[in-house]
Amino acid sequence: MKSTTTSIGLGVLGIVFLIVAVLYALGVLQFLASTSGPHYKHAVLFTVLAVASFVGANFARPKGTIYVTDRPRR
Amino acid sequence: MGVLQGATELFPVSSLGHAVLIPSLLHWSFKQSDPSFLPFLVLLHLGTATALLILYRHEWLAIIRGFFVAAVRGQIQSDTERLAMLLLVGTIPAAVLGVFLETRIRTLFASPYEAAGLLVMNGVLMLGFEVLRRRAERRGAADGSSHAEQEERFAQAERISFRAAALVGACQALAFLPGISRSGVTIGGGLLAGLRHQEAARFSFLLATPVILGAGVVEVPQLFSSGVPVGEYAAGAVLSGIAAYASARFLLRYFRSGRLDPYGIYCIAAGLISLALLHFSL
Repeated sequence: MKSTTTSIGLGVLGIVFLIVAVLYALGVLQFLASTSGPHYKHAVLFTVLAVASFVGANFARPKGTIYVTDRPRR
Repeated sequence: MGVLQGATELFPVSSLGHAVLIPSLLHWSFKQSDPSFLPFLVLLHLGTATALLILYRHEWLAIIRGFFVAAVRGQIQSDTERLAMLLLVGTIPAAVLGVFLETRIRTLFASPYEAAGLLVMNGVLMLGFEVLRRRAERRGAADGSSHAEQEERFAQAERISFRAAALVGACQALAFLPGISRSGVTIGGGLLAGLRHQEAARFSFLLATPVILGAGVVEVPQLFSSGVPVGEYAAGAVLSGIAAYASARFLLRYFRSGRLDPYGIYCIAAGLISLALLHFSL
């Protein structure tokens, strides 16, 4: 399933996961956590999810596409 | 406890179930509510994970290299790269369910009675996996072919589908129930996905390593903050590692021709006997 849209979507998801990981590590985010304070287990999980999303984004990226940035000369 | 944990973690008989049942049956003064229990358990798990890392040290190096190469390239070109991605896909569901549900599930099913009942269920599951496997073997078997020849028709771990890897990974979450074995359900899941017995065991051990190691490493800071006797606990971890290494070597050899049936029967018998002993307070 190779498409630029999927690739960008997974990349954005990866960034979101990374932000959530940082928030859990700093103890800012307490969602679905049993105690207060930093949640390193949650942070590691979201880092793994971020890595998986970035890997997925790279896999979904169409390969060998030539991106034309300039208009052809007449 | 170290030897018990190390041996039962990899055998399909539930380490957690045994960790709940045996101290209760033998009247050991071992309180799971004690603040030092979690660091102890963490060290034992680290011992097991280290043993698995040593056992598969060459394979893990190749898997890690394969992961980075495939991730950067955005394409899988070898069996090792495929295995690396399968392990990533298999680890995610277990990690998500583990982080968010483990504590809740464990507190719901922490009594020895429940552990014994779930051990019986684990045995039934093991026998069920083998019934389904035998059915699959009969479907494509030539007349008079041996078990070893039939095994050859099934796949290696690298050939499992990504969907099956995710399902096998999610099965690991069942092991948060004391009495249900992590290796048992993942080996069973591998069998249902069409792997050979030995390959299902290998995939199960590879899949278990990052989860056990990750869960252990993040708890390490607690070891130094809770004032526990680290030396004694470390000795337990070393024993756990030695037992896990020996168990893994044994199981990989056993599954060349063996099945899950004996473990299924053991779990049913152990669960029923434990229930009787607990009921009559013996």
